[in-house]
Amino acid sequence: MNLEFVGATQIVLGILARFWPVWLSLAIVLGASYFYRKKLGLYGQLFSTGVGIAGLAICFFWLFTAIFASRIATFDPLAQVAVLKNAMPGAIAPETSGGGVYLLGGDNLARDVFSRMVFGSQIVLIIAPAATLFALMVGITLGLPAGYYGGRIDALLSFLANLVLAFPVILLFYLLVTPAIVEMGIPRWMAGVFFLFPIVFFLTLFWTRFKNRPDRIWLYMGLTIVIGGWIYASLVFNADPFRILSLTPNQLNIFAAVVFASSPGVFRIVRGLTMDIKTRDYVAAAQTRGESPWYIMLWEILPNARGPLIVDACLRIGYTTILLGTLGYFGLGLAPESPDWGTAIKDASRLLRSFIHPALPPTIALMSFVLGLNLLADSLREQSMKD
Amino acid sequence: MNEAVRNPEEPIIEIENLSISFFTRKGEIPAVMDFSCTVMPGEAMGIVGESGCGKSTVSLGIMRDLSNIGKIVGGRIKFRGRDMGDMSEEELRAIRGNKIAMIYQEPMASLNPAMKIGQQLMEVPLIHDKVSNDEAYKRARDMIASVKLPDPERIMRSYPHQLSGGQQQRIVIAMALLSKPALLLLDEPTTALDVTVEAGIVQLVKGLGKEFGTSMIFVSHNLGLILETCDRITVMYSGEAVETGKIKDVFDRMRHPYTQGLFRSIPLPGADKNERPLVAIPGQLPLPQDRPKGCNFGPRCHHFVEGVCNAAEIPMIPVDGHEGHFSRCVRFNEIDWAAMPPGAKKSSEPVKPGAPVLKVTDMRKYYNVGGGGMFGGGAGRTVKANETISFMARESETVAIVGESGCGKSTLAKVLLGLETASAGSVTLGNDEIQSTGIENRSVGTVSAIQMVFQNPFDTLNPSHSVGSQIIRTLEKFKVGKNTAERRQRMLELLDLVKLPRAFAERKPRQLSGGQKQRIGVARAFSGAAKVVVADEPVSALDVSVQAAVTELLMDIQRKNKTTMLFISHDLSVVRYIADRVVVMYLGHIVEQGTTDQIFAPPYHPYTEALLSAIPIADTSVVKKHIVLEGDIPSAMNPPSGCPFQTRCRYKSLVPDNLCETQLPPLKDLGNGHASLCWLADDVLAEMEPVISFDRDHAAHEGEPEDVVPHRERSVPGGDPGFAAPPPKRPRGKRAAPAAGRLGDAAEEAESRGRTRRQETRDESGGQKAGAPRRTENSTVAPFKQAEAGSGRQAVDPDAPSAFEPTEKENGKPRRK
Ligand SMILES: Nc1ncnc2c1ncn2[C@@H]1O[C@H](COP(=O)(O)OP(=O)(O)OP(=O)(O)O)[C@@H](O)[C@H]1O
Ligand code: SF4
Ligand code: SF4
Ligand SMILES: [Mg+2]
Repeated sequence: MNLEFVGATQIVLGILARFWPVWLSLAIVLGASYFYRKKLGLYGQLFSTGVGIAGLAICFFWLFTAIFASRIATFDPLAQVAVLKNAMPGAIAPETSGGGVYLLGGDNLARDVFSRMVFGSQIVLIIAPAATLFALMVGITLGLPAGYYGGRIDALLSFLANLVLAFPVILLFYLLVTPAIVEMGIPRWMAGVFFLFPIVFFLTLFWTRFKNRPDRIWLYMGLTIVIGGWIYASLVFNADPFRILSLTPNQLNIFAAVVFASSPGVFRIVRGLTMDIKTRDYVAAAQTRGESPWYIMLWEILPNARGPLIVDACLRIGYTTILLGTLGYFGLGLAPESPDWGTAIKDASRLLRSFIHPALPPTIALMSFVLGLNLLADSLREQSMKD
Repeated sequence: MNEAVRNPEEPIIEIENLSISFFTRKGEIPAVMDFSCTVMPGEAMGIVGESGCGKSTVSLGIMRDLSNIGKIVGGRIKFRGRDMGDMSEEELRAIRGNKIAMIYQEPMASLNPAMKIGQQLMEVPLIHDKVSNDEAYKRARDMIASVKLPDPERIMRSYPHQLSGGQQQRIVIAMALLSKPALLLLDEPTTALDVTVEAGIVQLVKGLGKEFGTSMIFVSHNLGLILETCDRITVMYSGEAVETGKIKDVFDRMRHPYTQGLFRSIPLPGADKNERPLVAIPGQLPLPQDRPKGCNFGPRCHHFVEGVCNAAEIPMIPVDGHEGHFSRCVRFNEIDWAAMPPGAKKSSEPVKPGAPVLKVTDMRKYYNVGGGGMFGGGAGRTVKANETISFMARESETVAIVGESGCGKSTLAKVLLGLETASAGSVTLGNDEIQSTGIENRSVGTVSAIQMVFQNPFDTLNPSHSVGSQIIRTLEKFKVGKNTAERRQRMLELLDLVKLPRAFAERKPRQLSGGQKQRIGVARAFSGAAKVVVADEPVSALDVSVQAAVTELLMDIQRKNKTTMLFISHDLSVVRYIADRVVVMYLGHIVEQGTTDQIFAPPYHPYTEALLSAIPIADTSVVKKHIVLEGDIPSAMNPPSGCPFQTRCRYKSLVPDNLCETQLPPLKDLGNGHASLCWLADDVLAEMEPVISFDRDHAAHEGEPEDVVPHRERSVPGGDPGFAAPPPKRPRGKRAAPAAGRLGDAAEEAESRGRTRRQETRDESGGQKAGAPRRTENSTVAPFKQAEAGSGRQAVDPDAPSAFEPTEKENGKPRRK
């Protein structure tokens, strides 16, 4: 086999060039944000330190990569060009298969490593934040009453949370994807319960605030039920009438598992914050004007807990990303051919002794994304402490 | 300052034109500018000023303990003649904590929680003087005794957390004194303590100069405390010293409009809500970044003259006739110091209380603590937070509830508001019994009828919502207005009511100052048709100059709406100013209640007496009896048997049969609704002396420069019992309320006679102009010695003969009409 290669400089230039939509968007967004940073509150303050800018830049980089994945990628992430199996970076694909360069080489199944890494970002950037969001909803909805009422509710919920936290996460995932358990429908069940939380959350949120305002209440409640119901039907039962949203059974498993494993952490943070904030005078003021407990929790306490929650969410997205990687590595969850970073690392690891290049891009991608999130969280924490 | 030249003695510390800046993200913040002062050996210098004026920065600057962003950008600090800027790091370390010691507001900041008190104290002589262990132990124990802590041996063996706040602070002072410092810096050392505990610390601090020859710099926001503890005072405003001088000179003849404003805005004994209302300083402290050109006080000053006050930076200008008295005002010789600021409130009619609105009968509130949890009930202990509380409040009336921390004031408020339900007894609002109706079961009418103003302005508004939306939400809950537009309109009217610009509706709470937030709190409380407003220390967290404005606002609205106000406070001077009736609480019990006049004149309940003597009063003409209570307030978990006050009461020995310790005293009716929870017999009560009285002679001449009246120090305390009686008229300055000159002498005497029972026996001397020394005669009726520390240094020596006839002088002075 005689493969032709392009030189290292060309590889680097080629990669940089492929990312042009990302550079453009980064320049526009970061530039504009930097220019208006004085008016952008906490987000704007991130631009006052190098750490903040670096964190934002990395996170935005992956966000834009996910958005423009199909434009950046050179090949279909699943397409195989047989001659390029385990090819070194810069290998030129033969004309017969459409030409082009495997910028970062080919993997064991002769797929383009670069394109897979780019498309992998899409999966990571959808599942990790979405799962974190759901975990946040579950944690908040349970943490608020635990912290606010205390007593038995708190004791019970905290006990359950500790139980989940005490369980080894990997074992939990193994269990959840075991065919027997999947057949019993347990993951679907769990997802069914977890995905109910956001709907309940928003319904309570609007009801407590607007119940005496007929002009708004029905609109909001109706919207929540329609949108929530649609998402719920699509995700849990995979029955989206418009065929926009869908979740494969594998993805559903992962989702349920990640939400299950992360929400106790959120629960504990929210509970602690609530116990602190409920002693403030403005909570007493709300009580003395006759507000209901849920109004106080959702409208008086929660908004003031947002700072630490945002920081935690950042860290948690990073953690979930690693978790997804771990799952992929163990071959749990997503489909075997999925380009997500975890699965890619697993595939590459088998041949690590002979070929190291297919393992590096997904690893570096994962590391840099988590690093970016951590930098962002650090900087957010620091800035929010300042005032 | 030039004092150092005149005085042959060497000053301990000389600060010359000190400027300190903090360098932050937003650039340089000048925290202190051009600050000068000199402290002589054994002298106490007080620094007063409002929050953020730079008091603490000065003391930290002396310690050279500015964090890494703070820097001394100008001026010098000389310690015993040597510039501290020239000293090496090593020399500085030797001076810090050894020659100069600092005591902070929070005692635990200076104590190691993991070390026994004895060890911590012994370390000081062990390290500094390298003495033997035994010697160190002896010194530590002796020092504990000399800061008047009981049972030094036991204290030596305790850990800091086993002591109360007051005891901890004494230990911190002891620790500082052990290194025999030449200069002691005290930064608000009593702010975290209760009033009666504070009085003990003040007593201790006062003697330090004499006993140990220590000089002091005492930082405080409380003028009364400075008066009690210091020889000289520096008033700071917005980073600058604006006035400095001897206590007497500055208090009696201040020469800076800001100082005068401060005095006019605190409820001194002369103030009266109807006749001599407080006068607030308009506006608020400028941020360090946007200080005006020229006089920093200019934007808030009534005497501001364009082109004079803002022409150039103003230096400290010496005041004629007073040694070492300086003022940073260019116009102080042109100002009419007696004139009231334009727009100051004139006197108003006293309110007439109407029908009873709120009636509390035998209300009790017990809490069960401990137990609970998921795995078991477990019998907890009972905390008796409120015991047989009975009182009544009428329409338009202000009832003050007074007591120190833990006395059950807040529990009472919670029961009234429905946040808790009473364990027994009844609470009647209008015609409804509400004691067992929690807030969630109350009708909208009841909820809006009883509302609350909270203590902490930084906590009273939700930082996440705009000010307007929070008021609108309240209106919505109270079913005021039919739709959003109407409520919005009403919200804007409420902003007008509390004198805030309508634009504030869109602001977030963090964009408002403390006083403005508290105004929003007031607006919120009055947004429904509130019949009763519970105000829980509504101004205690605010700056002095803002307090007056909020107090007056609260009273104005109350007067207009005929609202009943329950004013919860620990500060009796505010209470005397604002309240019609007073309820004094101690450990869950009401120990005394009556009209304000009854409470502030003898006979007192022993606790009320101590509380009264503990308030620092910033008035040099007040003569106060000092009663220092021993010990601390017992915990409500573990109350004493018998009378709740028996552990600290100095009258206990006068009650036969050990009744105080065994049986709860009956509520003794002293006539006209005045009741006291005490076993003391009538004859003992009848012999009680007023705690606070006026040295009228001093008052008549206060503020004159020394060269005008060369010798008028010696005078006699007047005979006004309590400060229920009207205070002396002042020829100039301080409390120049419009009504001050209205009453003639005769009318004043007659009124004071009419007001109080015990007046009769003392009346002649009260009427005498400069009679025989009365206090020596009175002191025979005080049979207790243990705690009474004699009258404070405000009192002038009663034994010295008076050198002149005060009436002549008084008539010679210009009188205001
Ligand atoms: N570490 C710091 N960083 C930035 N600015 C500071 C810092 N410490 C103090 N300042 C500013 O310096 C000024 C003076 O503060 P300082 O603490 O001396 O006031 P203070 O008179 O002691 O007030 P308080 O009565 O509240 O104790 C304020 O404007 C304050 O905001
Ligand atoms: S200098 Fe002018 S503005 Fe400043 S205090 Fe004096 S009179 Fe007022
Ligand atoms: S009953 Fe006894 S202990 Fe209680 S206040 Fe009266 S004298 Fe003091
Ligand atoms: Mg301070």
